[in-house]
Amino acid sequence: MISQKRIEEVVKKCLIKAGTAFRKDQLDAYRNAIRKEKNENAKWVLEKILENAKIAGEKIFPLCDDTGIPHVFAEIGEEVTLPKGWLSAIRNGVAQGLRIMPGRPMAVKGNPVERVEQSKGLFNDPGKLSLAPVIVKSAKGNQLKITVLLLGGGPEVRAKTYRVFHQRSIDVVLREMAGWASSEMKNLGCTPCVLAIGIGRSHMEASALMLEAMKEGNLNRQNQWEKKVTEMINSTKVGPLGLGGDTTALGTFIKIGPLRASGVRIVSMRPCCCFEPRKATMVLSG
Amino acid sequence: MKKVRKARRVIKVKTPIENREIEKLRVGDQIEIEGKIYCGRDAVLPKLVELIEGNSLDRIKVDLKGAVIFHTAVSPAGIGPTSSNKVEIEGSIPALSQAGVKIHLGKGALSPKTAEELKKYNSVFAITPPVSAFFSDRMISQRVTAFKKEGMEALYEVEVKGFPAIIAIAHGKTIFATH
Repeated sequence: MISQKRIEEVVKKCLIKAGTAFRKDQLDAYRNAIRKEKNENAKWVLEKILENAKIAGEKIFPLCDDTGIPHVFAEIGEEVTLPKGWLSAIRNGVAQGLRIMPGRPMAVKGNPVERVEQSKGLFNDPGKLSLAPVIVKSAKGNQLKITVLLLGGGPEVRAKTYRVFHQRSIDVVLREMAGWASSEMKNLGCTPCVLAIGIGRSHMEASALMLEAMKEGNLNRQNQWEKKVTEMINSTKVGPLGLGGDTTALGTFIKIGPLRASGVRIVSMRPCCCFEPRKATMVLSG
Repeated sequence: MKKVRKARRVIKVKTPIENREIEKLRVGDQIEIEGKIYCGRDAVLPKLVELIEGNSLDRIKVDLKGAVIFHTAVSPAGIGPTSSNKVEIEGSIPALSQAGVKIHLGKGALSPKTAEELKKYNSVFAITPPVSAFFSDRMISQRVTAFKKEGMEALYEVEVKGFPAIIAIAHGKTIFATH
């Protein structure tokens, strides 16, 4: 049986890796973008982001000072027996990871109203930052697969979950979402982005699918629709940090869930920042 | 034949900054900041504006003449620009410029109205990527200057060297309107 201790350890390691290291697909995407980019200021930004990733990886230091809100996926094999308190183990692993990385101490003190108004200040302990509700999915086999994602504040300001009248056309849906994203690019600041899209039946489901798109997406594997959305965003010429150029988006991740008989699709769009998706996955065998 | 990239001119800017140095800066210029800068964001910038408007800035030991204000928190996770177009931050730029701040450093586009206010007080807006690991190598020291209760959002004084940025808004012109 998988122990609580092993779950804690894996969650902690995933969190630190997600917050401090670029994946191969990110490195490839940036190197390609630098090669193609003609705007000198844009190229400078892309090079700085790559240099930052090198330093962060070597020093095990956060890629960005906004170390994000931890989100965890637990994909549980049907033959796995989990220990009592496995959700607490995930929570403890997140807190340990935040203390070691270190995470930014941004948990807000006080009762609900005081928290909204941020009138009682902040906790100094990065580990006090509670994780978002864990998303649980079933899988085949005897493994527990843990993915930790760190979601920064800037993209949350610019994300949108809303409805689209699809007119029986995926093109209509994606065009509308690309339009929303394009209008946010200048204000996002931390471009180039990766656009994450979820399409579902309810706001909760669309948001969860958008998060799943972030979990599964790979910048080296883009389907025709993902490429099309990326092209639409790049045609804005906002560029890295809003400085112009051809690299406003590095890619797009789309996840489509079950849908209902209706003229409406509930969709969620998140323009992830230049370091995102910050994610890491590890597997435990039962 | 292999194409050789022309080396870009980097303008060195040392705090406190004189008005004539700002006059020379143009949109698109790459700069490197050296010296003591202030770091503050959503929580403290409106408080700073309140003190300025109440003529009571002397209650805290802050000298804004020729200053740089970096829109960032300061924490063990480092520093990095937050979106400068948030209401509390962009709204503080006119009063802080009037009080002597010469460079507002952050990220994201600002409104034409703010660009006009910057011009009025001969101040500029510069942007820098959120490269916190890179910045950690360029920080010499840090200390809380005011509003300690705000934790990572307190007003900090940070000493930096070779701190890179690009001028995004200067003298009524903006890099964001050019594309």
